[in-house]
Amino acid sequence: MSYVPVEEIIKSQKTPGFKTTPEEAPTEDFHDILFQLEKEGELIVQRVPEPYLEVPTKYGRKKKIPLQKTWHHKSCGQCGHIPGYSTSIFWINRKLGFDYIDPRDQTSCTAWNYYASATSNAPAQAAVAIRNFSSAYETGYFPIIHCGTSFGHYKEVRHELLHHHELRRQVRDIMERLGKKLVLPEEIVHYSEWVYAIRDRIAEHQVIDMSNITATVHPACHYHKLVEEDAVYDPEIYGAQRTAIVTGTLKALGINVKDYSTWFDCCGFGFRHILVSRDFSRSFAVQRKIEVMKEEVNPDVTVTHDTGCVTTLDQSQFAARAHGRKVGIPVMSDSQIAALAMGAHPYKVLQLHWHNTDNKPFFEKLGIDWKKKWQEFEEAVEKIKSGEKEYLTWEDADA
Amino acid sequence: MSSAVESQVLNAFPLDLSQDRYAEVPYEEKARLFEEVKTDIRYHDVLYGCYECGICVAACPSARFYDFSPRVIAQACAREDVELVYTLMNDSIWDCSQCFSCDRCPRGNSPGGLITILREVAVRNGLQSARDALEGYGRIIYKIMSTGTQVSPDMLQPDAFPDWGTHVHEIAENLEVWRRALPPETLHTTDIGWDVDEKTMIELYLIWHMTGVMDMIKEVDEGLFMILQDVMEERLEDAGYDDVTFD
Amino acid sequence: MPSQDILVIGGGPAGLEAARSIADLGYRAILVEKRDRLGGTPDEAGYAALTPDLRNAEEAMNEMIARVQNNPNVELHLGATVVDAKGQAPDFTVTIKNAKESKQVNVGAVIICTGFQHFDPGRETQKYGYYEFPDVITLVDCEKMLKAHRVVRPSTGEPPERVCFIQCVGSRDRRIGNEYCSKVCCGIASKEAIEIKQQLPNAKVFIFYIDMRMYGYWENEIYWPAQEKYKVNYVKGIATEILQRDGKLLVRGEDTTMRRPFEIPMDLVVLSVGMEPSAGTREMAKIFGLKQNKYKFIETIGGALDTVSTTVPGVFAAGACTGPADLEDSISAAGLAAVKAISTVRQAETVKA
Ligand SMILES: Cc1cc2nc3c(=O)[nH]c(=O)nc-3n(C[C@H](O)[C@H](O)[C@H](O)COP(=O)(O)OP(=O)(O)OC[C@H]3O[C@@H](n4cnc5c(N)ncnc54)[C@H](O)[C@@H]3O)c2cc1C
Ligand code: SF4
Ligand code: SF4
Ligand code: SF4
Repeated sequence: MSYVPVEEIIKSQKTPGFKTTPEEAPTEDFHDILFQLEKEGELIVQRVPEPYLEVPTKYGRKKKIPLQKTWHHKSCGQCGHIPGYSTSIFWINRKLGFDYIDPRDQTSCTAWNYYASATSNAPAQAAVAIRNFSSAYETGYFPIIHCGTSFGHYKEVRHELLHHHELRRQVRDIMERLGKKLVLPEEIVHYSEWVYAIRDRIAEHQVIDMSNITATVHPACHYHKLVEEDAVYDPEIYGAQRTAIVTGTLKALGINVKDYSTWFDCCGFGFRHILVSRDFSRSFAVQRKIEVMKEEVNPDVTVTHDTGCVTTLDQSQFAARAHGRKVGIPVMSDSQIAALAMGAHPYKVLQLHWHNTDNKPFFEKLGIDWKKKWQEFEEAVEKIKSGEKEYLTWEDADA
Repeated sequence: MSSAVESQVLNAFPLDLSQDRYAEVPYEEKARLFEEVKTDIRYHDVLYGCYECGICVAACPSARFYDFSPRVIAQACAREDVELVYTLMNDSIWDCSQCFSCDRCPRGNSPGGLITILREVAVRNGLQSARDALEGYGRIIYKIMSTGTQVSPDMLQPDAFPDWGTHVHEIAENLEVWRRALPPETLHTTDIGWDVDEKTMIELYLIWHMTGVMDMIKEVDEGLFMILQDVMEERLEDAGYDDVTFD
Repeated sequence: MPSQDILVIGGGPAGLEAARSIADLGYRAILVEKRDRLGGTPDEAGYAALTPDLRNAEEAMNEMIARVQNNPNVELHLGATVVDAKGQAPDFTVTIKNAKESKQVNVGAVIICTGFQHFDPGRETQKYGYYEFPDVITLVDCEKMLKAHRVVRPSTGEPPERVCFIQCVGSRDRRIGNEYCSKVCCGIASKEAIEIKQQLPNAKVFIFYIDMRMYGYWENEIYWPAQEKYKVNYVKGIATEILQRDGKLLVRGEDTTMRRPFEIPMDLVVLSVGMEPSAGTREMAKIFGLKQNKYKFIETIGGALDTVSTTVPGVFAAGACTGPADLEDSISAAGLAAVKAISTVRQAETVKA
């Protein structure tokens, strides 16, 4: 039998990779229903303000991402426990001269509690979401969602609202009582999609070279597993075989992103577990994520784009290290990394003192004098303590 | 897998599915609860049928750690096995971490979403499993329902997070000043995630009121309900809603 | 008088059989095939052996081709396709186009045999990494290896010690939108498993499945020997995800009958990709105005009693263009389509007379 190099033939067939086409999409395009219901007067659709950017989603459809005039739907977990996360998002907006609102007329999506305890129900969850959307609509600014869980949950809520007449009626009645309207945005946008969409602009403003940094990425479950068709996939990134978010951003910053085998696994957050059954969260985060990354890649940092993931992956390492396990990877959000690349202060803006795992080697590798930076932060804190200043302002943050 | 195969067995389930434990609960009661599950508007989005293929199980973080199987839950519901659903509602559903890794079920099921509904019914009916699961969780429900944000900076206390190490001490010690060292004006808070308008909070209370969420809390934690009721009714009254009561 | 010629589009197993039957019954077939060769997907994909008797595929196809090639009653257009159609039964005017020219022909009836294409595993919702991991291949790739007697790990060129098949990739999946069963892949996977064991007797071979669909004689002729004689391991439970670790593929899934999740190392993973309508099938449906089902296969209207009539009188469809079909189905349907097409042109003749 003559020799046939089958393996080469098979490999060469794979190289063109895979292209998504919207016509082949197995799921409905929610926009069709959304605009139909708008026509029927069932709801109001808030349009993405121009000029917007377009990014491809899982089945090759286009998603509009606002550039500015954004209404920032904050995350309770970020604001409460890792506030440099949100601060960095705002800082990037300011640095790029974008107009935005950081609203007080916003509640959390309450989904963390809902996924943890089920002490709520579909109409309540939908009403909370629409109350927030309606508040954004009143300002004329377009909602952008900081939390992955809020993002995922709102996508679910949208699905329920679009398909259940009775739920729409219920929510409309509630909104009427609050003097609000049933408003849905044209797109539900996660901040990391915005960071991804403007990654080239961020790179243009980059002042810190990151090409010697190796990073791993944890894609957030509630970002890409919930309502999977409405998540960003780009043929340029992993051949559109997994979400392009975060990875695409880091690559634009020149960071060397490395793959690890358990990338699809959850972080172990668990909603109730992180609060009342932390042994589960800890074991999972360490055994399935951190240790695997460490062993396979040994990255300088791991980057993710959701509240719970940063918290779980970061905080879980403390106890593991105490038990002599191979851990020790600093954890940050893509917003923090992007801000850092653009010259944001590690403590005044990134607020890394709220994080747990040692990040000094990471800074040393970047040539950033963390001691000096910490001192600068301490000095600013002293001024607040002494009463000389009430708060650290945006101007102080860049001083 | 046959013993000839050196498979790495991760976790052989000794999940106890015997129904004798709930023999004293009348079948009608179990059937009523399952009916409540099935009439949820989301039920048909989260469960079609089940291949019993196990894709959900191998994707599931909780199945790795607990005697827990999203497949068994989906299967039990798909087969309309009232007794087994009741057993699972009492034992299993709180292990789920609601990550939705199981959403890639080829049948289009969302076992995680199904579990959300099962939990909701367990809470609404005050099942013991729900009470047990929510023990120790009350302060968080209190936080979210009363403030509209789930976690607040002042929850970072060493006794609450002993396993997070010394840096929690540092945060707790410096909390007030570190919060003021945050440039965004909305983040200078300590007992709430960010500064939420009074009017916004009132609107949230009205939503809880109109959607019967407070009744659910009452079923599983009467004490918590009373505290929340006090806080909310007072603020609602101040805002001119004296007609809104939660009993 | 309208032409009594019958147009057959597609020169795969179904088209070859339709053309041959027309010719044998004394009518003229115009056979249009897009590729430069006849033989259809079995030829294009290079199948090694056919179910259930492991007959050499090339030999079988050549036999079919020989009956059509150089047949005075068959006008052959290779490297050509149909770009336009006008008229109605029994008088169609059809434009055939090849690289050089277009030509109009008049025909009394049409049989579409444009077949299927293999599901692209880039679209699966599980995480099998077909485009990421060189050692994840499809049934079709495996056929090529078997034919070349080189079942190897593409990453190393070495023969694998452990091989597994994952069933139902791109079929029976609501998330992907292909809810149907592709019908042949259980048989093909089992057949390939046997062939692997024949070529590599020391390899361990696994098949992860939801249901094994080995109807009729495939049961005793393929399934049982695979399990009993060749010791192929059948495991009920579909792999959830494939990871790569230490140069091996790690397959994660649940052995559902044993009730335990597993993570087992494999050297080679074969995805049992299903069938989808070919691009040609979609085009022909458009050109002839035929109703397609939800999955874009051509819809036949007679249920179980007439498997070839379409929504347009005088236009018939046979083989895998109407839905998942094995050779047996395709060839039986093609014979029926030939008879129906002939009766269409003959009826026209009777009416005229
Ligand atoms: C991996 C694999 C292995 C298989 N092995 C077996 C087996 O062992 N036994 C078995 O019974 N079945 C097997 N099958 C199934 C078998 O391949 C099909 O049943 C058979 O090929 C269907 O024949 P067909 O003629 O309908 O379509 P096809 O074989 O797909 O032929 C269609 C023909 O139409 C042509 N065409 C398409 N578009 C146009 C156009 N626009 N104009 C002109 N021509 C066009 C194509 O070029 C092609 O030649 C296997 C399937 C798979 C996936
Ligand atoms: S993945 Fe879906 S079909 Fe398979 S066992 Fe789980 S619920 Fe059932
Ligand atoms: S949502 Fe629950 S059942 Fe589903 S994978 Fe996550 S933990 Fe498992
Ligand atoms: S034939 Fe077997 S592998 Fe193919 S789709 Fe049907 S059940 Fe799945």
